[in-house]
Amino acid sequence: MTMQRAERWGAMPRTPLLDDESPFKTMMSTFDEAALTMGLSDNEYRVLRKADKEISVAVPVRLAGGNLEVFDGFRIQHNAGLGPFIGPLRIEPDLKLDELRALAGWMTWKCALLGVPFGGACGGLRLDPYTLSSSELECAVRRYAATMIADIGPERDVFTPDIYADERVMSWLMDTISSHQRSTAASAVTGKPRDLGGSAGSRDAVAKGLRAVIRLALAHFGMPRKGLKVNVQGAGVVGGTLAKLLHEDGFTITGLADVTGGLFNEDGLDIPAAIEWRNQHGTLGEWPGKADQVDRDEFVTLPCDLLVPCAVANAVHSGNAVRVEAKMIIEGAHGPVSPRADRILAQRGITIIPDILANGGGVVLSYFEWVQSRTGLGWVDQVVDKRLGRFMREAWDSVLAVSSEFDCSLRKASHIHAVRKVSEADHQRGIYA
Amino acid sequence: MSSGATLSDAQLRDEYNPFLSMAKGFDQAADILGLDEGLREVLRQPERELKVAMPILMDDGTVKVFTGYRVQHNFLRGPCKGGIRFSPDVNLDEVRALSAWMTWKCSVVNLPFGGAKGGVICDPRELSQGELERLTRRYTVAIMDILGPDRDVPAPDMNTGEQTMAWIMDTYSMHVRRTTTAIVTGKPLALGGSRGRREATGRGVMIAANQALQLTGDRPEDTRVIVQGAGNVGGVAALLMHREGYKVTSISDMYGAIHNETGLDMPAVMAWMRDNGRLTGFPDAAEVSHSDQLELDCDLLIPAATENQITSLNADRIKAKLIVEGANGPTTAIASSMLHDRGVVIVPDILANAGGVTVSYFEWVQDRMGYFWTEEIVNSRLEQIMIDAFNEVVKTAEEHQVSLRTAAYILSIDRVASVYRLRGIFA
Repeated sequence: MTMQRAERWGAMPRTPLLDDESPFKTMMSTFDEAALTMGLSDNEYRVLRKADKEISVAVPVRLAGGNLEVFDGFRIQHNAGLGPFIGPLRIEPDLKLDELRALAGWMTWKCALLGVPFGGACGGLRLDPYTLSSSELECAVRRYAATMIADIGPERDVFTPDIYADERVMSWLMDTISSHQRSTAASAVTGKPRDLGGSAGSRDAVAKGLRAVIRLALAHFGMPRKGLKVNVQGAGVVGGTLAKLLHEDGFTITGLADVTGGLFNEDGLDIPAAIEWRNQHGTLGEWPGKADQVDRDEFVTLPCDLLVPCAVANAVHSGNAVRVEAKMIIEGAHGPVSPRADRILAQRGITIIPDILANGGGVVLSYFEWVQSRTGLGWVDQVVDKRLGRFMREAWDSVLAVSSEFDCSLRKASHIHAVRKVSEADHQRGIYA
Repeated sequence: MSSGATLSDAQLRDEYNPFLSMAKGFDQAADILGLDEGLREVLRQPERELKVAMPILMDDGTVKVFTGYRVQHNFLRGPCKGGIRFSPDVNLDEVRALSAWMTWKCSVVNLPFGGAKGGVICDPRELSQGELERLTRRYTVAIMDILGPDRDVPAPDMNTGEQTMAWIMDTYSMHVRRTTTAIVTGKPLALGGSRGRREATGRGVMIAANQALQLTGDRPEDTRVIVQGAGNVGGVAALLMHREGYKVTSISDMYGAIHNETGLDMPAVMAWMRDNGRLTGFPDAAEVSHSDQLELDCDLLIPAATENQITSLNADRIKAKLIVEGANGPTTAIASSMLHDRGVVIVPDILANAGGVTVSYFEWVQDRMGYFWTEEIVNSRLEQIMIDAFNEVVKTAEEHQVSLRTAAYILSIDRVASVYRLRGIFA
């Protein structure tokens, strides 16, 4: 195991024991709540509650030492009402089927909310990538794809990257599917390297989507941008990029944190310098610039106007939610506010822009890459940015409309809007027999 | 001879057979083009006709067998395109004629499609929603071997709509085991439909009228318009033209017509119709009969209801100087030449109402790439295609000193013929 790999692995979202719930239950309870509020019919409720298809395969791999190892592979395809399935491939030693189910459902709602023509899916390979050589991992990924070849592909089910499913893994998937269908299937996966049909703007997509949503939210709530203080948790691809973008926009970034700890300066941090330091030293830890070093667990309670947690799940939990000082929380990470904390914050009148909307830039970019791979025509940066902005704005507008229609939180409104779109599509397609 | 419409002589002699105008237009154009007999023979008959029997389990437990057709007239210029109609009056002759009509319509606006038409003999009013769904799915499967995004792409027609198209898309996708939105057009927005499709035909009619005014140098503000029909085509066209500055003085629906010489407030008229289910009774207008409406004094007449509205019986009394055909075949062949002789300009149906199939084409393009255009982009591209087609038809008319209708046929037949020569005869 190399140092670099260990660090990446260490940065994985770790769920604090407090507030821990089965992710499937959390997803389903959000869905149930939305279904109840919007008055979804019993028939449609029953259809949407189950995954369309759950594929489970054995993935035998001959290891370098001669031993044969048989890994478990899964693909959960939740709902195809709006189009082909799309979703990540998780590669983890302690993969839970329940979590895959939750993520597949989550992807369905997310695609519907962001207005991209897909249903949700999630795949998994239960293995520890650090114990395998690159070629052993390649064998596993290729065998996994080949075993379910009839159910995946550009108009069936599209793979998106995940923490361990990087450009390399996506390229293997693309190559395996292309070889089997005997034609280049660039649109079977997203998150490809640029040379294989990857899109411009992929790296910054989530951060740019977050920035777009922040701008829309400030305009809507009448908060002037100037002098607004922002704390960003996470200094990597999402948090770091967002901090840089907001800094350029004239916001005062008072706090920035990564896994090793946080920096805080109520007059504003020199963000470009801090990020540059982190790029060189691998951590924000001993940045010599003007800032107080703060404990990473206390970070979310520091004073600010906007808090953007972009790092770990349940960063705001029932233990610290009462001490959060932000006026608004924009969820950059996946589930950074626990359901219990969500209720506490709601009582305190703190607005939350939910993850499913706020960090939707990633899935929009995946969609853009799929389109570009289908047409064979790549878009330049400006075109990607402009279109991403439009998708985020349209999603925001519809969430606002639903939120005032049902007089509910933005989180609930996001789910209602998504469930409504999926059930309408299901209803129009009817039941095939 | 007719253009693929194998109608009997008795039918051809009948002025009220709407395919007569098409057949006549085809013949005149073919003569002018000097089309050789072999090519005429090719274009005269559909390339493929499929008749299917479809057993359907009815709600009461009995089994009924329905008959359906799909006729592909010509696919030299690309995959076939054409609607599917559900009606008790469907018959093979009519489906054949309509399929040929689609070939010319797609060609005149230069879409990369050939023509097709489908029909199922049934009375949709007597079928439950479940029976309709089963019939639609069975029909889809029955004709599936000749369908496909690159083979034949159906669309809505009489008594079929977004819901029917959604069922076809679902059935096809399930059978081929991948999402195939480009298999039909006219789908709901959420399933790969196009923005701007619902008003496309009406918008195309307005664009055609705008272009026609440029020929005479008239301005919309000085143009009094009579619109027959207040639905998808007439209603939309009247509304858009009102917004554009035209003076819409009369509009009709199936119950009657209303008239106001100083111009109707179209948004108020449409709101009245939405609330009351009919036009008549609208406060700021006089009521006139259907037949009188067409003969009112006006500058522009838009028949956008049904066929055979302007015939040898009333052509002499039509006061409009310009007619834009929103419906299919609203002017009979005899009436057309009577009007042409009097100097009345007719923008023919295959050009004037091609906005619908043009946005169908856009829907197919968007489905193929999976990316969807904003309404502004759809509308501006529609305008571009309509303007280009209009200008080419006018140029052809000047070149051959013929009516716009004959010119439209010359243009579209010539396009099909030149592709035929390029592709040659397969095998």
